[in-house]
Amino acid sequence: MLNIENLKAKIDNKEILKGLNLNINSGEVHAIMGPNGSGKSTLSNILSGKKGYEVEGTVSFEGENLLELETEERAHKGIFLAFQYPLEIPGVNTNTFLKTSINAIKKARGEKELDAIEFLKLIKQKSLELKFDEKILSRQLNVGFSGGEKKKNEILQMSILDPKLSILDETDSGLDIDALRIVSEGVNSLRNNKKSFLIITHYQRLLDYIKPDFVHVLKNGQIIKSGDYELAKELEKVGYEDFN
Amino acid sequence: MENNLKLNFEDYLNEKNLTNSQKEIKESNFDNFIKNGFPNKRIEDWKFSDLKQIISTNFDNINFLNREIASSIDESLIDDLEHNKIVFINGVISKIDFSYESEDKIIVEQNSNLEKELSDNVMLNLNTAFVSNYTKILVKSGYQFQKPLFLFNYLTKDLNNAGLNSRLDINLEDDVALNVVNLSNENLNNNFLNYRQKINIGKNSILKNYSLDTNENSNFRYSYKDIYLEKNSHLEYFILSKGSKFSKHDINCFLNNEYGSIVLNGIIDLNNEKHHEIKTEINHNEENCKSYQLIKSVLNDSSKGIYQGKIYVNSKAQKTDGYQLSRALLLSDEVEFNAKPELEIYADDVKCSHGSTSGNIDENSIFYLMSRGLSYDQSKKLLTNGFLNEVIEKITNENIKSLVKKLTGINE
Repeated sequence: MLNIENLKAKIDNKEILKGLNLNINSGEVHAIMGPNGSGKSTLSNILSGKKGYEVEGTVSFEGENLLELETEERAHKGIFLAFQYPLEIPGVNTNTFLKTSINAIKKARGEKELDAIEFLKLIKQKSLELKFDEKILSRQLNVGFSGGEKKKNEILQMSILDPKLSILDETDSGLDIDALRIVSEGVNSLRNNKKSFLIITHYQRLLDYIKPDFVHVLKNGQIIKSGDYELAKELEKVGYEDFN
Repeated sequence: MENNLKLNFEDYLNEKNLTNSQKEIKESNFDNFIKNGFPNKRIEDWKFSDLKQIISTNFDNINFLNREIASSIDESLIDDLEHNKIVFINGVISKIDFSYESEDKIIVEQNSNLEKELSDNVMLNLNTAFVSNYTKILVKSGYQFQKPLFLFNYLTKDLNNAGLNSRLDINLEDDVALNVVNLSNENLNNNFLNYRQKINIGKNSILKNYSLDTNENSNFRYSYKDIYLEKNSHLEYFILSKGSKFSKHDINCFLNNEYGSIVLNGIIDLNNEKHHEIKTEINHNEENCKSYQLIKSVLNDSSKGIYQGKIYVNSKAQKTDGYQLSRALLLSDEVEFNAKPELEIYADDVKCSHGSTSGNIDENSIFYLMSRGLSYDQSKKLLTNGFLNEVIEKITNENIKSLVKKLTGINE
């Protein structure tokens, strides 16, 4: 599904990714762990098309050159980034935003757009499935949301937009145990053999709730080791500093 | 232009059958206008909008002698909201309709006499000189309007290079509630409009005034309002400054008795080369009054936006609470935004603050929205609409709030 080869990225002439390779197949859950400054967020930004990076190497998504696509085209193709810090958008009602978003994607995919009733039905159903209080959806997008509510909102968007590849950028940061459990259950309920996940995290903690198939260690702009869930445990014991 | 103006005025006086005293008032005002001419940027109040230059760039001549057009246009401009209305056609009142109200509670006096007055605002001099059918509306004590009053300013297609001066006074006695909406039609000719409104809000009365310049038009408009607030009265004022080519909205409020309060919110939303200014002056003359102002601007292309806001606190006006905030989104390198906040405070137990920010659209927010499948333009529109929607949400009349959302295309 996603194939990254020798990915290099610079910002303001500073090299952040220094030749990264990664292959994710349908239905797989990959975790990337790494210390601060290792390039984790840069990787998620580049995959979702954020501007401002000088990029080399190839990234293909379902056989297509991802790097040539605009941010919104990547969303249309089925890439979703759950933000580490979801942005607050004052004056924009969350429901309005969700409807605009899902219909933009449906339109691009040549599917029929949802009318108000179909949309509300979908929202109700998804909120119920994910055990989210749909009341927050009538508020302004992320404005005044707690850290947990923001992350839950990201997962709800992920569930509604039905992506093929979901990238979770430090979704666990700022979450208490209860919120972490709810968010993880949400992610787990979306897992199936067609959907893939790339979970970017600092700590092993999140991986206790969302068991990955593969764990990669990102250090200094490269993946220095790959393994299974056991690798995460080992990493937690040894620490990033001494891990080689 | 000056000679022509003099000829216009001569003809005007000849055609109108005025009493000597009315004639004198008009003449002294006209002379003052001729002496000073249109205001230019050397006058502090006009520093960001050099009207003299704007007029000379855009008009070869302005015809101030507009004979009343016997028109039967009954242009409502809106159809899905029950309302009372006063229709001005080319600046002259053509219809007054209070059919939703108890008519004995409302007194309309047309062709009122001008009071002797010589303002140092030359635009008011000009208005006094040329105004016809000066109308006064009085609402009697205790009357609460059932439906809003729409003031339609309708300009006909054949009107071009005309200068219109109109005046309407609204006097609310005590315990009155009224919603007023100002709205004008789409008009693509160049005309110069000089509107004046004088409003008095009696004890315990509430006035909500929504001034909506939404329809695209190439008019040059100066709108002056002075609003006097009595004890425990409330003014909610909302400005949507968008459609005209040039607009200066000059609002002067006087909190002349205790516990008066003002909420004044405005939107400047411009494209092309439009030039709009909102200028407010809130005078806190007595104790325990409150004023709140929020002005948001979105500027595109090579437009120019201005907000000059002054809060004056008299030495008697202890316990004043005054607040003023201006925020502007500058969406192109060619735009210009000027803000001039002013606090002039002579009392020592007051709470007053002001703030002003201006900046570009937040690219991180754009990225967030695009990552959810929205195009760049869609994202930008959603963000600017959201930015402006915060002001629209402050409208307390739900019907008018939805009307404004419909007119602006900003939907929930």
